[in-house]
Amino acid sequence: MTLAAAPGRSARRRRAATPYVLLAPTVVMLTILFAVPAVYNVWLALHKVTPYDALGEGDYVGVANFESVLANPLTPLSARNTVVWLAFATVALRLVLGLGLAVLLQHSVLRRMRVLGVARTIVLLPWMVPPTVAVAAWKWLLDGRTGLVNKILLQTGAIPEGIPFFADLTWVWPSIVAVFVWRELPFVVISFMAGLQAISAEQYEAASIDGADGWRSFWHITLPNLRPIIAVIGLFITIGAFNNFIYVWLTTGGGPGTFTQVLATQLFTTAFVDNHLGGGAAIGLLMSGFMLVFAAVYLLTVLRRGDD
Amino acid sequence: MTDLQTRSGGPQGRAALRVVRRRRGLTASDVGVLVLTAFVCVAIAFPFVWMVLTSFFPTDELFDPTRLFPRPERATLANYALLLSGSNFATYMVNSAIVSVGSMLASVVISSLSGYAFSRYRFRGRQVVMVAILAVQLFPFVILITPMYAFFSELGLLNTRLGLVIAYVAISLPFASYLMLGFFETVPRSLDEAARVDGCGVIGTLFRVVLPVAWPGIATVGINTFILAWEEYLFAKVLNTDESMKTVQVGLANFFGEFTTRWDLVMAASVLASLPTIILFAVAQRRLVSGLAVGGVKE
Repeated sequence: MTLAAAPGRSARRRRAATPYVLLAPTVVMLTILFAVPAVYNVWLALHKVTPYDALGEGDYVGVANFESVLANPLTPLSARNTVVWLAFATVALRLVLGLGLAVLLQHSVLRRMRVLGVARTIVLLPWMVPPTVAVAAWKWLLDGRTGLVNKILLQTGAIPEGIPFFADLTWVWPSIVAVFVWRELPFVVISFMAGLQAISAEQYEAASIDGADGWRSFWHITLPNLRPIIAVIGLFITIGAFNNFIYVWLTTGGGPGTFTQVLATQLFTTAFVDNHLGGGAAIGLLMSGFMLVFAAVYLLTVLRRGDD
Repeated sequence: MTDLQTRSGGPQGRAALRVVRRRRGLTASDVGVLVLTAFVCVAIAFPFVWMVLTSFFPTDELFDPTRLFPRPERATLANYALLLSGSNFATYMVNSAIVSVGSMLASVVISSLSGYAFSRYRFRGRQVVMVAILAVQLFPFVILITPMYAFFSELGLLNTRLGLVIAYVAISLPFASYLMLGFFETVPRSLDEAARVDGCGVIGTLFRVVLPVAWPGIATVGINTFILAWEEYLFAKVLNTDESMKTVQVGLANFFGEFTTRWDLVMAASVLASLPTIILFAVAQRRLVSGLAVGGVKE
């Protein structure tokens, strides 16, 4: 009551401070957990540190960590894998399949037959499963000796002996991509479905009066309308895929040998298996630098084009 | 999501034509769409169905090379019994439950404060903080894990549930703050003013008057944070390595490490590890879908 009745100077000052007080826990936590580690990461990258060293302990080595990362013959391989398989293959597949599924689920016959709810829940199903579980389910399905896929292939006589999908050089990347896309596709479908909702029915009606068939109206109405959301989702999932650790790590651990190493698993292995925190930090910095440049170029080209 | 169901005008959008066809029944292309949808649904559901199904059968039945599908009469709960009595899986489940519930509660409280500040106050630095919080969400965790390990080690937070709670709350806060901001925007300000006139302070107004009205926001933030904490693998693996402190995802991943010969047990563990998230999704699908479509992008 006193506050409302007598808004004196101290009360006003208290009111001015209120939002900062309310924000303090959030800002403090994000600073300690994100901002400070990001800065400390730079320090780590310039020092030789093991996980057993105390905070701030370690010999200054200048850019030696970066040099050893760049000189490591593994780095070009994992960089290539990261870009080709994670950042390109899983993203392209998710955009194409996501668009296809969103358009399919939008078809009126599903509503008319009252199966839309069921179909949508099933399409979202992989999203309800933790990524770790998704990997387990697929490793079992594709198991080299007793997995169902191999059993079927063997019984039909399609192959003479079981294919170890996650150890075979031909199959290992397609298999990892399959798990990744299976688990991470629903988010893309949902986003595109929301985008499709925003397109007015009148646009399609006008097109059909002009004689446009399904494909034509897809190219000339659906795609142009969805372009902004495709651009944003594309950027988000590309960054996510570039930094993704869990699918490669849990399916192959970067193997067979180093065949499926990506930058994220190389970072982890360097820091926590080889106990070289500085090396891991250097890889992390190179990764974020690369992504920053990528995001800037992407935003400039895609958004610029969107303005036309 | 309801408007997804009720609004007409699909991409093919030949609305007038369709009215005529509807009376006649299904066209060939309608049947094609139904068949394709059914095929897609079976393909997507299969790995999951196979996981649940095989979790109820013994190894020899599953590994029998002459048999594709196990016989129903061999179904058993033995895998689950062995998993819970003969391994540490129950401990992992309890750890994950404690960590997830703790993160959920803390995240709801802290994000209500920040969301309320963003919604009700115009202050210097508001824009900067909001953008910074958004930028944080794009931060790759695998890059943060090295410095965070060093920090947590120094603070004695390695191998504690509290350490994981702190990490997960921090991860959840950007998205949670924005969600709460969105929900507070739907609560009329006159409610705050009435509460103030009745003598409530800022905290009293927020927790006793505004939050009860914005409960869908609390539910959304809470469920999101719970799922995030329950599913997380990388931080849990690096920060909590003691057997007694491991979480369910790390425990499961160890099960299907290099020496897997017991897929029956791994599948039972997988079912248990996905049970809470599946239940929560089933309960709150609509809410989560609309919430995540707003801005939850993290892999």
